Amino acid sequence: MNSQPKKLAEATQYCPTTAHRKILEEGLLVVDVREYDEVKQLAFDVPEIIHIPLSEFDTRYAELPRDREMVLVCSAGHRSLKACYFLMFHGYDKVANMEYGMDRWIVRGFPVRGEKLSTPSDEQASACGCTTLASTADSCCAPSPAANNTCCSPTPSASKGCC
Amino acid sequence: MMEIKVLGTGCTNCKATVALIEQIAQTKGVTVHVQKVEELREIMGYGVMSTPGVVIDGKVVHAGGIPHREKIEQWLSN
Repeated sequence: MNSQPKKLAEATQYCPTTAHRKILEEGLLVVDVREYDEVKQLAFDVPEIIHIPLSEFDTRYAELPRDREMVLVCSAGHRSLKACYFLMFHGYDKVANMEYGMDRWIVRGFPVRGEKLSTPSDEQASACGCTTLASTADSCCAPSPAANNTCCSPTPSASKGCC
Repeated sequence: MMEIKVLGTGCTNCKATVALIEQIAQTKGVTVHVQKVEELREIMGYGVMSTPGVVIDGKVVHAGGIPHREKIEQWLSN
């Protein structure tokens, strides 16, 4: 292992809404680092996805292309952040982490395959006024071409932010 | 003085690793400065996927699980 630590930049973070938009509009490649049993139960339903469990990541990361924009995903955004930094350590510069993971992806009503989890608590579901499983077109997190790249337009009642 | 860094985000194993290193160092009469590195970005700067990790004088000597006592004793003997 390297003796001298690398000073890594802050990882790029996408909220699920931004990630979803980039997946559909820009062909962002999704890399799922959840374990096999998690993926078997519930999977991201996206055009292109590669599954490398975190437990195998250090031996299999070279399978990932260096010239594609990628977003790392997991259940809550923590393991994927670790994997994202690992790729950055190994020179990948087109990687980002999806904050909040599958947990928030489901709340936003983005597509999944497999058994769906039970609906989250009311507090969690209404953090930005969105109802659970609302369509992306109707949610407050509808894609916005805002210049500051925020995923959601501010709403009067959004005290905690949308995503 | 030996500079030792223990990489980990604050889990039980990370704390146990720090305690074990300090205990063995004291027993052997070796002066060490043990620093905990808990910030993920800084940890990943060492390329360590499995924590706790141990860095001695800038070199990663261990990654994943609590290191065995014998291993620590060997580090402190060098």
